[in-house]
Order: sequence, then structure tokens, then C-alpha cells
Amino acid sequence: MSRSPAGRVQDWLLEFLQTAFRLFPWPTEAGLRSIGTPDESSPVLLTCNYDLTVRRLVAALAGCDVWLVVAPTAGINVWCAAAGGHMSSHQIVSALKTSGVAERVRHRNVILPQLAATGVLALEVFRRCRWRVRFGPVDANDLPAYLASGEKTDAMRRVRFSLRDRLEMAASWAAPTALVLGGGAFFIRPEWALPLTGLVVAMAVLLFSVYDRLGPRRKAIFTLGAGVGSVAATWLAGGAAAALATAAIAAFFVSALLTYDYTGSTPIEGGSHFEERRWTITFDLERCDGVFRCWEVCPEACFEKLESERKVALAHDERCIRCGACVVQCPQDALFFEDEAGARIEPDVIRKYKLNLLGKRSVEAQ
Amino acid sequence: MSSLALMRWLEGRPERYDSGMRALTCGRIGPLHAAVAEAAVRNAGDQVLEIGCGTGSVTVLLRARGAKVTAIDQAPEMLEQARLRLADDDAVAWVEQTAAEIDRLPTSRFDAVVICLCLSDMSPSERAFVLREAVLRLAPGGRVVAADEVRPKGWRGWLQRIWRIPQAALGWLLVGSLSRPIRDLAGELQAAGLRVSDSRTWLLGTLELTVAEPEP
Repeated sequence: MSRSPAGRVQDWLLEFLQTAFRLFPWPTEAGLRSIGTPDESSPVLLTCNYDLTVRRLVAALAGCDVWLVVAPTAGINVWCAAAGGHMSSHQIVSALKTSGVAERVRHRNVILPQLAATGVLALEVFRRCRWRVRFGPVDANDLPAYLASGEKTDAMRRVRFSLRDRLEMAASWAAPTALVLGGGAFFIRPEWALPLTGLVVAMAVLLFSVYDRLGPRRKAIFTLGAGVGSVAATWLAGGAAAALATAAIAAFFVSALLTYDYTGSTPIEGGSHFEERRWTITFDLERCDGVFRCWEVCPEACFEKLESERKVALAHDERCIRCGACVVQCPQDALFFEDEAGARIEPDVIRKYKLNLLGKRSVEAQ
Repeated sequence: MSSLALMRWLEGRPERYDSGMRALTCGRIGPLHAAVAEAAVRNAGDQVLEIGCGTGSVTVLLRARGAKVTAIDQAPEMLEQARLRLADDDAVAWVEQTAAEIDRLPTSRFDAVVICLCLSDMSPSERAFVLREAVLRLAPGGRVVAADEVRPKGWRGWLQRIWRIPQAALGWLLVGSLSRPIRDLAGELQAAGLRVSDSRTWLLGTLELTVAEPEP
């Protein structure tokens, strides 16, 4: 049934709000949903109870007949919930057992989003409730093709961060930053509120457009560029010395807020406010027996299959954002986090404490 | 006042959990825990299942009354704090698992099932499942002792809603989530086949303890 015009406006408003304020949780009802007319052999998908995700997933699955289990992940999206401990094996087991899906299907196979692999241990879910976990595509829009073919292509495995993704991420960082800076200015110097808001939006869009092309000193380069750009724009507009100084200071603060830390909210880099940046993924080639789980779940396609030897190679470690998905999923415990001095964080410690290096919790746990 | 708005933040920091909860409940958490333990243990040696034991505040009181406790929690950090509290106590079995996995426990019959400040963290379908499973695991004469943040009726409910706005904002900013008060705790217990035998509230009716027994 098609939506009424008022319903469509409501959907659009919700989409806008949830995109702009996606850093905040937007919980939706957890439990079992049917999409299309699923039967006892239809696929079972599972996702988080972040409203935007569920609505987009349902839209992407139009025309499919599937069961959808919405797990209680505190209203947080898959990537953040899995990395932050809100979407772990426990939540998956609980959702599978309590949603009633087991009474609706004959099989025990559940497809999770690939980005849940950093928090959900597939083997643990099977041990606890006998459901077999497969990690599906990163992007919900690839699900119909994945369900039809049963194959996850290379493109489905990797986070793409398209222009649309970038603009959405820019909006999600710009909205709260503009609210704080523009809103704060409104009460102190109302005439600054609009220019500051404009500056925040422009800088956020610029930041997410060029950030990955600025190299390792990207924060400094971006801040410098934003400062020079703001001052130049103010000068071109005929600003006096005081206005130029104000523009430089404003650009610095906006840049500091925008680039403070992404903690894994982009595929460009992991979080930065922890001291373990020196921890890197390493692996014990002897233990690797070619199960290829790491290759299957890595959102950055860092691994390459060496089919003839039944081993993997860490071919692109420069892309690694230390999400820990490969460490968590490896059944042979062949992957670790290791520092320059050779100290290791063992896989079981990472699994137990959700000790991926996207978050600062690693500092406390170590 | 809602006791659980900053719960998630506290859960992430088990060592601060107890003092934080005392502050959030204006000190009412102590009397609530004592009442829970009193309602749960009638005789020394009673088998008690504690769902969501957290840092073990209720577990300690259950043990002080002589109960044999099976304490479950899905957060390993919280269980570690609880274990430290009751080190070398063989009458407590600590189990890291979800509430939905009661059917995996080796002990099949309990004189009481205690669920303190844990139901409101669950989804409605999880709550219904867990309460149904709890009833199946009660020994004859056994009871469910449930305590949680609830939504009181009338002006107290509106006061709680207003109070929760700044708390919710703070909770979201700090930790990105918060729990919701249960609207009808007694109703959910009844839906699971239980009959309410006793009920008490604290903090303008926002903290509720309800004792329920299986329908005869």
C-alpha cells in the first residue's frame, strides 16, 4: 500500500532528522517482523534496532520474502553497537531465542550485517543457541542480489563510502556541531549565529570530501586550510582586521570540533583518542588453515586469499582501521593485535571485552 | 525520579556502578535491595536464581540470608566485580549468559527468581519470554521477585517524564542510550501466569518491587 502525502512528508522529515542526528540513538521496537510473505524456509535476517537502519533495510528488501529479527541494541546502529558492546553474541542469542523466529522457520541459519562481525562471535552464537551465523553484505541495498545468488561479491564485502555516504556523514557531524556553536552564538552574539552555522556546514562537507586525500597530517592540513580559507573569504568580503581574526579563530574551533575524533565513524581511519595507535593486526601464518573468515568480514578488504596454499595474506595492512572483526571471527586464533615491542592482545581478551581498537576502552582494559 | 537514565554509563564503569546508583536513586537503592532479598529468601538454603546480578549488591544480601544463589549477567566486567565481592563463596554460581538462556542452567528448580533493575533493559518480547521461562523453573511454593523502574500513574508519571528529559539528553550525550521505565510491571507478571502477592514502591512510585507467585 502506498503512503499518503502526509505520510511521505513524515517519512522524509524522519529521514532528515535521523540523518542529521545519527550520532544519537533512535530506538525502534525489537522483535520479529515479516517482509513480503515469508514461509518456513524463507531466509532470516537480523539487524540492530536503530530506526533508520531498519527502515532502510525494509525499503531495500521490497519484493523479497524474508523474516527480519530486530535485536535490542540500545537504538544504536550496527557498526557502533557491535564495536561498543551493544551488539554482541549475547544480544543476538537473546533476540533469536525470544523473538519467536525459531517457531516460524525450519532451518537455523541467520544472516547478519557484515559490520556486526566486530562484536558478534558466530561460533559463540552457534554454541549457545544452535543458529548458524553468516555475515551478509555491508550495504543493505546489496541484500536482494545476495539473497538471490547466495554469493557475496568482493564489492559487497567492502565499505564504499560513496558521495551520498560522505554527505550523510557530513550532515551528522555538522548538525550537532552547528547546534552547539550556532546555538551558543545566538545567545551571546546573535549576528554570529548564521555565519558560524554556515561555516560549520561548509567545512563539514569539505572535510568529508577531501579528508582521505590529505595524507597522515590530515587534521593539521585541514585546520590550516580552513583557517586560511575563512580568512581569505572574510578579506574578499571586505572584512576588517578584527573580522579576519574572528574568522581564523572560528575556523580553528570548528575544525577542532569536526576533526576531534571519528572513533570509526568513517572507513578512512579508526578512532584516535587512544594511545594504542601503535597496535597493529598481525597473524600467525602457521595457525592459519584457510578458513578465510578474516577475508570474509574485513570491511576494508585488507586480506587476500592464497587459495593454493589455503592461507591468507595481509596484503593491505595500510587500510586496516583495527576494528578487530578478523581477530574475533578467526576460529584458529591466528590473528592478534600486536605492538611494536611484540606484546600481544590475545583473541579471547578481545572477544570478551569487545576490545577492538576503535574505542578508547582498550586503554582501560590494558 | 528515574533511577536508570544513566545506567548505561554506569554499566560501562562497574567500579562506579554502586555509588552512582545510590546517587541516582537518592539512596533508595539500599532499601530496595534489602526488600528484594527479604522477599526472595524465606528459609536458609533456598535456591535463588538472580537474573542480571550486576556487581552483586543483591547477591551479597541473598547470601547473608543463607540462600544458594545462581547469579547470571551478560556483562563480564560486572560479573568480575561481583566475584570480587564474594570471593571463595562456593554457594554462589556465577554464569555469564543472557536472561533468555535460563534453559541452559544446570539447576532446574528455584525457590525464587530475582530480577532487580534488569527487566527495563529488555525488549517487551525478551521480558515476556524471560518471565514465562522463570515461571517454568519455579519450585512448588516459589516466587518471582521483580524490582525495576516503572512509570507511575497520574501526576507522578508526568513528573517522571519531565525529569527524564534532561536525564535522557545527558544519558545520550554520555553513553548513547538509556533504559525505559516499565509501564505495567504487575500486568507483565500476570501475563506470564503469575499472581501478584505483594507490591511496594519508592521514590514517588517510580521504583517498584513486586512479588508474584504462579497461579494455582
